[in-house]
Amino acid sequence: MITGKRLFKVPWRSRTTIARDVDAELGFHFEMRIAELRARGASVDDAHRQATAEFGDLEFTRAYCRREDERAASDERRADALVEWRQDVAYAVRTLLRSPGFAVASLLTLAIAIGANTAVFAVSRAVLLQPLPYADAARLYQVFTIQPDRPVVSRNQLSPADFADFENSQSSFAGLGAAAPSTAMILQPASGDPISLNAIDVSSNLFGVLGTRALYGRTLMPGDEIHGQDHRVVLSYDTWSRDFGGDPRVVGRSILLSGESYVVVGVMPRGFTIDEREALWLPYDQKGTLADVVRARKQHYVRTIGRLKPGVTAARAMEDLRTIAARLALAYPDADSGRTAEMRPLTEMLTGDLRPALLLLEGAAALVLLIACANLANLALSRTTGRRRELATRAALGASRGRLVRQLVTEAVVISLAGGALGVALAAVGTRSLLALNPTTLPSLFHATMNGGVLAFSVAISLATGVLFGLLPALDASSGNLHESLKEGGRGSSGGRASGRARASLVIAQVALALMLLTGAGLLVRSFARLTHVTLGYDPNQVVTADLRAAGGRYDDALAVTAFYDGVIQQLAHTPGITTVAAMSDLPSRGSSSTSVRIEGQENDESQLRELRYVSVHGDVFKTLRIPIVAGRDYDASDRPDIPETTILNETAAKRYFPNGDAVGHRIKIGPDPNGAWMTVIGVAGDIRGDGLDVPPEPTIYANHRHEPWMRSMSLVVRTSLSAANTGALIRAAVRAQDPTLAVNDVETLDDVMGESLAARRFALGLAVSFALIALVLAAVGIYGVLAYNVANRSRELGVRIALGASSRRVVSFVVGQGMATSLAGIVVGVAGAAAGARLLRGMLFDVTPLDVGTYGVVAALLLLVALIACAVPAWRATRVDPLTSMRAD
Amino acid sequence: MLDTLTPVRYRSTHVMTGTPMQRTPPEMLQGTVDVLILRALAVQAMHGYAISRWLDERSDGVLSVEGAALYQGLHRLERQKLIAAEWGLSENNRKAKFYSLTTAGRARLRSEASIWKTYAAAVHKVLSPA
Repeated sequence: MITGKRLFKVPWRSRTTIARDVDAELGFHFEMRIAELRARGASVDDAHRQATAEFGDLEFTRAYCRREDERAASDERRADALVEWRQDVAYAVRTLLRSPGFAVASLLTLAIAIGANTAVFAVSRAVLLQPLPYADAARLYQVFTIQPDRPVVSRNQLSPADFADFENSQSSFAGLGAAAPSTAMILQPASGDPISLNAIDVSSNLFGVLGTRALYGRTLMPGDEIHGQDHRVVLSYDTWSRDFGGDPRVVGRSILLSGESYVVVGVMPRGFTIDEREALWLPYDQKGTLADVVRARKQHYVRTIGRLKPGVTAARAMEDLRTIAARLALAYPDADSGRTAEMRPLTEMLTGDLRPALLLLEGAAALVLLIACANLANLALSRTTGRRRELATRAALGASRGRLVRQLVTEAVVISLAGGALGVALAAVGTRSLLALNPTTLPSLFHATMNGGVLAFSVAISLATGVLFGLLPALDASSGNLHESLKEGGRGSSGGRASGRARASLVIAQVALALMLLTGAGLLVRSFARLTHVTLGYDPNQVVTADLRAAGGRYDDALAVTAFYDGVIQQLAHTPGITTVAAMSDLPSRGSSSTSVRIEGQENDESQLRELRYVSVHGDVFKTLRIPIVAGRDYDASDRPDIPETTILNETAAKRYFPNGDAVGHRIKIGPDPNGAWMTVIGVAGDIRGDGLDVPPEPTIYANHRHEPWMRSMSLVVRTSLSAANTGALIRAAVRAQDPTLAVNDVETLDDVMGESLAARRFALGLAVSFALIALVLAAVGIYGVLAYNVANRSRELGVRIALGASSRRVVSFVVGQGMATSLAGIVVGVAGAAAGARLLRGMLFDVTPLDVGTYGVVAALLLLVALIACAVPAWRATRVDPLTSMRAD
Repeated sequence: MLDTLTPVRYRSTHVMTGTPMQRTPPEMLQGTVDVLILRALAVQAMHGYAISRWLDERSDGVLSVEGAALYQGLHRLERQKLIAAEWGLSENNRKAKFYSLTTAGRARLRSEASIWKTYAAAVHKVLSPA
């Protein structure tokens, strides 16, 4: 009677049903047993008693059976869900294969959008989230001094004396460590050219403050700086592995640096850095530095890093520092009055420049993804509307609404996962090209890799995308009366007014988002254009630069420094292909030092002396860089070291200090020492944009290097028709001829040096523009898709209109009008959104307001044009509708 | 195999007569309800009460499975998909839950039975007079 095979699947039983079934089953057992016992002659009571006694633990059994059944039911539910899910996926794949156009369009859209997001995520994760190479970096802070009353408030490093006082008086930090720039060291390898190694002086506690131990040997200790013993040095991992063969036995040995002997006390682990460029760490000689009383309090070059004590808040530490600063301002009014302290998290200091650019990129990538979602939702909407008949059939065969929704969402998720996989591949390529955009200025980008976190991110956004673009059409398609669509024959159904509205709002959203992206990109492009057209004030074309340093004991004699640079310049100047040669302490676009200035015959407030940028020049710098001398004269042979000093100011300095325009002939005095020598202004040079294109020129003094030859590091500037490589070889030969122990570093064109200051900007710009273009294309596809669908769907209506005598012009204007109305609505929304969002860009704009009317106008016009083109094809198709065919279609 | 082993509790009254009988030492015959149920259902599909009757008769009243153990075993086996259940009408026209062996159950019965036979033969051999 029972086959053991079930023809129909029993629906899963509920808890109540299970309980009832168990009771019924056990009841039947008792009934049968009692009946049997009674038949054998037992009384009702006896039969009951015996049946109960025989059975054993009834309550436990009842509970046990229910639990087993419930578990079985839930196992089954899970298995069924899995089967259904597999069916859904298989069905999704089959349907997608049946409409390859839709599948390919969706896949490409997704690959681009998810690829862009993944690449940007990988890069920004590497830059913003990569931990610093220090233990518990969140509690590390950098300490500055600021002058809050100045018109332009900038953060300065501490002076050595202030640092000492802060370190001794503070109680909020586990320690304050110092890092001060040091002279580069020359290492002469067994063969080849000398190598210059960047070095910084660090206090012995700085390694401890940062929480990093040596890989081999030890870090610096108090006492390492004491004179009269062997010098001590700690090597970076890179230097150790490149220049010392990665041999741990180098620890404890003596090495020759710039001709002097240094004992290597330790090697730091890979990736450890304080300044991002240094190769060596030397002990910071606090006592020696403080001995020079005048300079010790007034020169600000000690980078100060502290680690908050456990339990101390940043606010309390800040208060602590301000209290000390106030005390110093009272004690040393000439140096510290008007100054107070500030601190910033170290993490912020290292990624500060890039953070806005990367956040911008993340925003742009997210917008692209949203546009892609809107596009896909639209495609899917059109498609599911066309599939209403199929869905209605499935519903009629017993598929629940939930099942239909799940089916459609599964399709979307299948597409988006496939698109995501393509996108990740694209991102792997994309990340590499992001790196290629400018690796030198963004060192941490090198760590951008496709790791597990990045993959998880892209899987997550793929899934989210699928659900997002699948759900809306699914809900729409499965809603309403599916039976109606069955009866209608599916042909004339336009998917209802609701889905028409949904599609229109998706297009509006797309156009709006695209407009926002385009506006952002447009503003950045305009800023960039403004920037590059700002008058530089000098001509960087065909100038090759190289960094030199007269290192070693023989250059303690200032005349030897002068002779060295004279010799190099002389030799190069006589080489064919080289027009002019000179040397200067700081190239335009690179950092610079500053000095205080006193002007003869004017009130000089000793407590607040004016600051002047200090650039030392040797030879024909102005001629080489083509900086005009606007008043007076350039340095010439008459400006010898032994006659009264002469000097040159830039236009800004001349105008600011001598408003009457009579700078030439007046005398000024620079440096902290009030008893220094006066210098006569003999000329005024044109302003240049030295601090980067977006910074207005500052008052600058071009001191004659022959007068102050204590500056040993100079950059050569060579105007030449030769390539950078050839010029570099000539420079090396000239330096070798003067002193074979000296190194030549960083040979590059001045264009490249300048480019560095634009790199971050160019990086953000290139990406923002490409995102905007992607957005534009996606939006165009979206508009086209909706209009084309509308035309196809309404061909009967159009046919009637044509049959009733509507001209093609009327038909075209009808279709185009519809498309343009939607696009215009999108543009209005987008302008509002862009105006709100553009304020976030303010920090990246130059000479362009976030509400720049021109940009908005151009972008809106561009979008309208694209919308018009997207309308054209469907409109043309509409005029080709054959009234007879379209009306007979049903 | 161990998870299917459940001790058979022996009734102290004889099913057929309802009179108290000598209790067989349960510790010695660690039986398994599950394998007995599977064996019963190998004959034909049955409801729980019929299974208990069949076991009683077949073992001459020696292997009488307690109701509690029987129904626990049935539901456990059903969850393991070794048997399937379906509601039907009993011989006296009452609604009853009928169990039948599944393919997996049949396979399980074969392997369990051969293990049991080997085991029983071994015990028999050990206990036989030398």
